[in-house]
Amino acid sequence: MSANGTESGALQLPKLQSETPNYNDTYDAIIVGAGLAGTAAALTMAREGLDVLMLERGPAPGTKNVFGGVLYTPTIRELVDIDSAPMERYIAEKRFSMLTSNGDETAVSMRPGAWRDEPHNDSYTVLRRRFDEWFAKQAVEAGATLITETTVTGLIRDGHKIVGVETDRPDGEIRAPVVVLAEGANSLVSEGADLKDRPEREEVAVSVKEVFKLDRETIDDRFHLDGDAGAAYHYFGDGAVGEAVGGGFVYTNKRSVSVGVAYRIEDAAHGQTPEATLNAFESHPAVAPLIRGGRRIEYSAHVIPEGGAKAMPDLVHDGAVVVGDAAGLVLNNGVHLEGTNMAVESGYHAGKAIVAALADDRSDEAALAAYPRDLEDSFVVQNLRHYDWFQRTIADDRQFLFEDLPRALADAETEYFKMDRSSKDEHTDAARDRLLDAAGGWFGAAKRAWRFRRMLS
Amino acid sequence: MSTAQPHVPDVSIEDRLYTVKYRDAGESHLGVKNPDVCVDCTTNECMQVCPAAVWTVEEDSDGVPSIAYENCLECGTCRFGCPYDNVEWEYPKTGGGVVFKQG
Repeated sequence: MSANGTESGALQLPKLQSETPNYNDTYDAIIVGAGLAGTAAALTMAREGLDVLMLERGPAPGTKNVFGGVLYTPTIRELVDIDSAPMERYIAEKRFSMLTSNGDETAVSMRPGAWRDEPHNDSYTVLRRRFDEWFAKQAVEAGATLITETTVTGLIRDGHKIVGVETDRPDGEIRAPVVVLAEGANSLVSEGADLKDRPEREEVAVSVKEVFKLDRETIDDRFHLDGDAGAAYHYFGDGAVGEAVGGGFVYTNKRSVSVGVAYRIEDAAHGQTPEATLNAFESHPAVAPLIRGGRRIEYSAHVIPEGGAKAMPDLVHDGAVVVGDAAGLVLNNGVHLEGTNMAVESGYHAGKAIVAALADDRSDEAALAAYPRDLEDSFVVQNLRHYDWFQRTIADDRQFLFEDLPRALADAETEYFKMDRSSKDEHTDAARDRLLDAAGGWFGAAKRAWRFRRMLS
Repeated sequence: MSTAQPHVPDVSIEDRLYTVKYRDAGESHLGVKNPDVCVDCTTNECMQVCPAAVWTVEEDSDGVPSIAYENCLECGTCRFGCPYDNVEWEYPKTGGGVVFKQG
């Protein structure tokens, strides 16, 4: 990170100045967006000898990108040497915590010894600015061309077929056989070209996040960590996101902590503002001590597509493919929060399909069909389909899951461990009654267990 | 910011936005498609959902929000938040807009 505020970063890259050089037919593929999906696609194609052009609207890769904080790296490991990657910490602990607005916390923490060993279950906190810039640099070193500060404003068609992009540069049309749309959750180009519909408000979440600077020792002490070990804490309940459907998170970086909330825009529109929600979360007695004394170094926000498999647009078109967040590839089933790994996986499969299609001198939809087929067979779509029920079910059961259950658990704990002069038997009965009341009796508890059985199947 | 608070100090949106680096694009990348829709709107959901205080509907105005585009984090929330799909949202031109240092 440059301290003097220069934004172009360490990459020495060709830059478009005033006139756009004639790049027509210079490149085999144009990639819209140098985030994780676009870069994975560029790397895959460049490694196979294709000439690819990455167009990034920010002054450097990563400058427009936000995520919570944990990157899963099985596929990235296949593409690049991740030993030189700017990781923050590996995940040594995952913690799931229910918060009530009364200040109660009930948490489950796990620290399997295996996570301490290489490759650390391929789970690391990263900061996108550093990581995305490094990742794009790997693509450049593999032969890809990266042009920053260039916004794609539309697609060029020849009849039905997509044959290039329009940019905001003077004479900024660039033609190539394939366009990879890796533009992220705000997929203006794909939507503008009718490759996908704008997702429904109910299917999009807003996340707001802050990074707090703390020294390394303080983080190690507060989260019980040492060396490069890190922690991923996830929070649910009305103490995390009030009356909304969503959750909060705290992730440890090397010398900072990322803190944020993510919940449905629908809930924000009904009056639960992002600012108030973040304030309440950061003030919760379970969270406040973790960030106390930290200096705010960055506030950020982004939308998250959470429509699941049903909301996935067509991934392939004549002359174009859609990858990453633009394709809605995000998994949130409460326990697993994934997206960047799915972005990389989709870019990788798209890149491979383009290489194969261009080898036959083709770029039509049928020739590129290996991409959706491979993605369908991969963990990406399999997981999305498996958990397609989840978002709807928790939204239907919000009152129980986010308010009644966390409160009943806290009450039951209070009863069960109560120190007075009545017997343990009485305490146990009282604790069980609290839980059963919340769950709607034995019958209600069984019904709910049945509804959520798929979490474990 | 006060340090006397028991937990996290109260923080204003201005304090938060002060941590964000921007490059002024010189012109707004945000707008409303049809001002008449805003005049009829009573819920001002653009204002509710925006995490960066970009959208403000003044009490004594005709209901059309003022837009502090230079605060925009380019998150896209307003694009989905407006129930009338009345938000005009483009990418800032030639590298302008927010420049995240952490992300």
